[in-house]
Formats: sequence, C-alpha cells, structure tokens
Amino acid sequence: MKKLKPRTLAMILAGGRVDELNVLTAYRPKSAVPFGGFARVIDFPLSNLMHSGLEQVAVLSQYRSYSLINHIGSGAAWDMLGRYRGVSILPPSKGYGHSDWYRGSADAVYQNLDFANYHDPEELLILSGDHIYSMDYQELIDYHREKDADLTIACLKVPMNTAHRFGVADIDDEDGVRGGRVVQYKEKPSKPRFNWASMTIMCFKPKALAEVLAINAREDDSFEFGRNIIPRMLHGKKRVYGFKFDGYWGYTRTIDEFWQANMDLLGVNPLIDLEDWGIRTNLEHRSIRDCQPLKIGNEAVIQDSLIYNGCKVEGTVERSIIFPGAHVKKGAVVRDSVLFFNNIIGRNSCINKVVSDVNVTVGDEVRIGEENDGDEKDVTVVGWNNLVPDQTVIGSDCTIYPTLTAEKFAHAIRSGEIVR
Amino acid sequence: MKEHDRTLVLLLAGGVGSRLNVLVKTRAKPAVPFGGIYRIIDFSLSNVMNSGLSQVGVLTQYKPLSLMRHLGTGDAWDFTGRTRGVKILPPRTGFKDSDWYKGTADAVRQNIDFIRSHPSKEIVILSGDHIYQMDLDDMLQFHRRKEADVTVAMMVVPMEQIHQFGTGIVNDEGRIVEWEEKPEVPRTDLASMGIYVFDTEYLLQLLADDRESTDFGMHFIPKAIERDNVFAYPFRGYWRDVGTIQAYWEANMDILRDDSGISPEEWGIRPNSEANGRSADWPPARFEAGSSVQGSMISAGCVIEGEVVNSVLSPGVRVGKNATIRDSIILQDCIIGEGVTIDLAILDKRVVVGKDATVGRGERNALINREYPKHLFTGITLVGKEAVLPPRLTVGRNCIILPGSSPKSFITVEVGAGETV
Repeated sequence: MKKLKPRTLAMILAGGRVDELNVLTAYRPKSAVPFGGFARVIDFPLSNLMHSGLEQVAVLSQYRSYSLINHIGSGAAWDMLGRYRGVSILPPSKGYGHSDWYRGSADAVYQNLDFANYHDPEELLILSGDHIYSMDYQELIDYHREKDADLTIACLKVPMNTAHRFGVADIDDEDGVRGGRVVQYKEKPSKPRFNWASMTIMCFKPKALAEVLAINAREDDSFEFGRNIIPRMLHGKKRVYGFKFDGYWGYTRTIDEFWQANMDLLGVNPLIDLEDWGIRTNLEHRSIRDCQPLKIGNEAVIQDSLIYNGCKVEGTVERSIIFPGAHVKKGAVVRDSVLFFNNIIGRNSCINKVVSDVNVTVGDEVRIGEENDGDEKDVTVVGWNNLVPDQTVIGSDCTIYPTLTAEKFAHAIRSGEIVR
Repeated sequence: MKEHDRTLVLLLAGGVGSRLNVLVKTRAKPAVPFGGIYRIIDFSLSNVMNSGLSQVGVLTQYKPLSLMRHLGTGDAWDFTGRTRGVKILPPRTGFKDSDWYKGTADAVRQNIDFIRSHPSKEIVILSGDHIYQMDLDDMLQFHRRKEADVTVAMMVVPMEQIHQFGTGIVNDEGRIVEWEEKPEVPRTDLASMGIYVFDTEYLLQLLADDRESTDFGMHFIPKAIERDNVFAYPFRGYWRDVGTIQAYWEANMDILRDDSGISPEEWGIRPNSEANGRSADWPPARFEAGSSVQGSMISAGCVIEGEVVNSVLSPGVRVGKNATIRDSIILQDCIIGEGVTIDLAILDKRVVVGKDATVGRGERNALINREYPKHLFTGITLVGKEAVLPPRLTVGRNCIILPGSSPKSFITVEVGAGETV
C-alpha cells in the first residue's frame, strides 16, 4: 500500500536574481518566464514532480516573486492540494540575524531547514526551477536509496568544449549507463577534464545536508550548491553519486539559447514534446482557460507553428510560438519569433526572429529584425509593455528595454543597438 | 446581506433535445459541446455568474452524468464559497411512486424544499439550452422597478419561427396583456425566451394554489396575466435555441464570422476545462509545415497537417496530411486520417476516420435522411461518438453513423445519401 505521508520533500530553487535572458528577467525570476506557448519555465519541474508522484513541494523565491506566487496559486493545477500534498512558497523571512535575504541557493535552503525538519522526509530533492526537461525523479530517488548515498546528482554529458559553463562531475563506472560514484567535481572549470554536467537536481539525505550547510554558513563566504556544498560533501567523504541522464535538457542562459529552445518545440518530432511530457500549467493564471479557441482569418497562412487559444491570426505566421491574447492583423508576417501573452502585430508589419515579452503592441507597417538573407541573424528582444509606433524600423540583435516612450522609436534602431 | 444573496437561480437542464439526434444519445442537450471548448450550458451558467448571482440549483433528469461531471464543484463559474453554491437537483421519489419531472413548473414544484431552504426574495428560472448573453441583474432591476409578480424575458423573432414559442402581446408600460402558447396563427412576433423572474412568495403561492398544472408557459403564465402583475423584459441581441442539427451547425458557423454578434470570449463565457480528466493540459495547437487553415476556429491540443476551411475544431483533433475539412464541426479527440475529405459534417467525440475516406459526398441537396427526415434534410451528415470509419469509406449527405460503429458495421464501402448505419 502506498504510504499517504510522502517520503520525499522537494524544494525548488526558483527565485535568485540571475543575469540571464536579458530584459525577460527584468521583472520576473527566470522560472516565471513564459515558455511553450502557454506555460512558464517552472511548469516543467512542477509537472515532472507531479508525474513522479512527488507532491509535497516548497518553492524558494525572493527575486520579484509576485508573478511566480501568482502562477503557483494553490498548487491545485499540479494536483498539489490535499492533506499530504501542497506547494509552500518560502520567501526570505526575518529572524536569522546574519542576513535576512537569501545569500545564495544553499543559504535559501539553510534558512528553511526548520520547514524541511517539520516534514521529516527521508530525502530532500533540491532542484532548479529554471530548466526545460522531462525526467522521472523517482528513478533518481530509487538509485539514491539503492546506493545509500548522502547525495545523488543528476548529470548530463555535455561536449567538452562547453563544459566550462557548468558544474562538472567525474563519475566512475560503478553502474554503467545508470550512474556511479562522483570522484571529482569542479564548478565552471576554465580547463575542464571531465564533462558530466550537474543539472542542479540533487537528492540529499537531510542529515548529511544539514551538517554541511551548517559548516558552509559558519565558514564560507559564498553559499551555492555547486560552488560550496557539493565540494564540501566530497571533501567530507560523504557518499556522492551521479545519476546519468540522457534526454533533452534546455539550459537557457542567453537569449539565443532561449530562442533555440523555443524552436525545439517545432517540427514533426519536436525535441520538446509538450503533450508527451505531460506539461501542466496554471490555467487560472492570466485566466487563459477562459480564452476561446484560436480564430483564423480567411487570408491567414500558418506554417510550422504553435498557437494557443485566445489568439486571432489574420496574417502570416511561420516557425513561431504564440501565447494567448495575440492578434496578428491582416498583411502582418511573423517569422521565427516568440510572442508572449497579449501581443498585437499591426497590419503589414513584419517581425523576424524576435522574442517579444507580454503586452507589446506593434503598430502598422513596422519592421523588427532583418529578413534572413541566408546569413543567420541574431535575436532581437523586446521588453514588456512597449508600444511600437507605426512604421518603426528595428534591426536584428537589438535589445529594447521595457516600457519605453514613443520618442525612443523615432529614429531607425540599427542592428545590435540597445535602447533603454 | 447583499442584494444578490436574496436571489435564487433554478436552471432547468433536463431537456432531451431529441432533434439533436446522435449528439444527445449519451448526454442531455445542455451538455452538448459547442464552439470548440464550451458546452451549451456554459452560456447560461456564465450569464448567471456574470450577473453576480451565486446560489444555483441545476435541475437535471435526462442522462445527467456528463452534465454532472461538467459542473463539478461549480468553481469554474465561481460558485464555490460560503454564500455561493451550485447544487444538482435530480428527480427524487417521495410523495408518489413516479416523480419524474413532468414539465418546467412540475420540476420546480418538486424542489420546493430546496427553495425553502435557501431563503430568497426572487427566483430566476432559466433553461440551459440556449446560446446568448444576457445581464440577469438588469432583468432583476426591471422586475423590481415594475413591482412585478412575474417577469418574462421576451424578444422579437422572425414571423415564420414564432409558432415554436410562447408569445405575448404587451402594452405601453411593458405589461403582458395577452398570451398564446405556440400559436398556429400568430398575432405578434414577441416570443418568450423561457427566462422568468418570480417573487418567491408569489411563486410558492401559485404552486400551492394549483397542484396539477405542470408547465409555466402553458398553464401558469396565461392565468397570471389575468389577475397579477406580469411584465415582459425586452431582450435584443444574439439568442439561439440550438435545438436542431441545422440550428446547431449555423450557430457554430456564426462564431467564425466577426459580424454575427456571437463572441463567447467577449461575453465572458467560461468553459470547464478541468472536466476532461486529462493528466496534462492541452498544449497550443500545432500547425505543421504544409498545413493550410482558413476561416476556422482551432482549439488547443489540435495537430493540423492537412487543410481546414470554415470549420470549428474542439481540443485534441488530429488532421492528417492531405486531409481536407470544410464547413464542419469536429468534436474533441477525433482522428482524421491522411487523404480524408470531410464536407458539411458533424463528428462527435473520438471519431476515427480511416485513410482516404470521404464523409459528405455529392450534391448538398441530396436525399434527406430516411429514418429521421425531420432531423437531417439540409445536407449535414452526423457521425456518432467513437465511431470508427474504415479506410476509403464513402459517406453521402444527410447520413447518420451511429455512435460506436466499427469497421464491421459497414457492409459496403459506400453509404448512400440519407442512409443510417
């Protein structure tokens, strides 16, 4: 019989200020960035947790967490509402004396150890809310139990020439393709010698973690899992294992990577298969469940795209992802782009390789992004709440800051410009 | 106490809607899917919600299961909370052996205990059968302003349709002075929409005085206008009784046009997307390279590889390569195989159409349906829930494919116009 009281408590690291994704994270944590035409980045780990049967979850957040709190709501969207099921949002709180803000991901967990102790789990699964992937965490937990490990880290093999961007582990062959003992670990090494990248999915024995967190809080001056906790676990001769994962992992630090991850949603056999992965979102957030079906005009052309309910398409859409509330007017062309909620693209405007944040209204006969002339262009990103006047011209590889005044668009914005 | 807490809503959702044929084989008319993601009853429920009313009894009788699942806790329409609630009121045995609802007034009479246990000043009675938007609060204000005992919502309908309705003749102040139920020779074009506001005490008295009559329009209203204050609340706007296959098809097609006056999202109509029991949410609609869609509504979860023109697709419909769908309504989770042609048809949920099959072939004004000549005569072909059509099958006009038909149900590869399988 399945025990009602969950054995594993999951904690999602969701709210650090990360200098990633440019203006898309100006007003929200990365985990709350829209992704997939209707969802948010954090929906991926939350849906993974739901499908893994892990439904006692805490979300650690501090950076502009309003949209995240709004999004998570009661947790009912992921079935995490019930006697032994729930999502608790844990913002920083007063009372620790040294610093009330979270000083790093490890400090965030350290400051909430009382919450973890209250639940008294057998394992603490700590994971980042920032990545796009589908994983059954139960397999990782099973491996962790089998090995009687103090820490088990999910790792993905990355090319050696990109390994310097990650925390990388050297894993021995104890269990072949399934995993093995972590013999070395280096956080973002300048000359990497091994390439099993940590996916920031870590299963801890609570006692071992508490021990190391206490030392970290006392002795170190940085408080990160990758930089401090994993090395200290190894140093303290704890049993640290690597669980080898070989699926898709969307690690999107730059706008170009974010754009590419969006394009991975397209095609006949997409790398990211929302249906197959069973992604759930909170349909109450922005009331998207009340959107009527997508309305398509008599002259519309739509090719290789994803478009959610609540949109109206009268123009042309190619290789693009469009969130609810968008209106692509007659004669408008949207190519290779990602339009977040409530974008309006005016008549005869042309949008090429653009990521446009929520509430952007583009006037008539506007050009954003140079047309692809065989030479691959870089992404232009438009911050939220912008009103782009008629006939504006904006190049490729531009950054348009949120909520600009009309005069900022008075002159043509050349490729590569940053407008703030 | 807030003003609205004193108003109770009774929603009559027991209608069979038999002219909708296979669409009501497994569900009551109010539960018939409409406009891609809605069910017919969503329009009435959302009107109630948007009018600020939150105490609702839903009277069911015919095949209520899918309706009950759809209503759930009522939280899709914000009916959960300390002073809010939606209750399902099925017929109960009790006083007599057979207590099935025998008419609108009889249904209300059998739930007098519910009415008494929810003290109210007025009772709004409406049906769950119609597609419209109406501010019931405005009607309540009208009712109070006129100090009416009963107020009936009425609208002008085309003269040739008036014989289907209760009709009233109204004087200058809006008082109903004459009433005729389904007149053969109409003297007015003002029709009752089956929406009533009663003073609660007055209604209870009315039902106590006459323990035999069963129908409001037929029995109670004609008597009431003679001695009491009965007013007509004038309604102007889009309103359809989608009780026939043709009317159902037309109202769906109306949503595709910008000037038709129907717009579920602008009207604030809420579906209950949670009721489908899926573990994942529908992802955005996927349009593959080479697909072509014009003048249509496409719901989340659809995957389109072929061509769709002037059609309404519910969630999860798959349209294969080189398939063409025209002037049709395709309900949830249908799978349309490669090279299939569907023209002027309604496909119920989870129908599978095999490769290169054709549904709706030939001249549109072909032979009418022989078994149900009054249901199918305009060219529309109906395919029942979960039917599986074999590859290369050809189905003509005005045909009915019964729910659950399997490839073995088809003796030949051709179903001629007007046939039923």
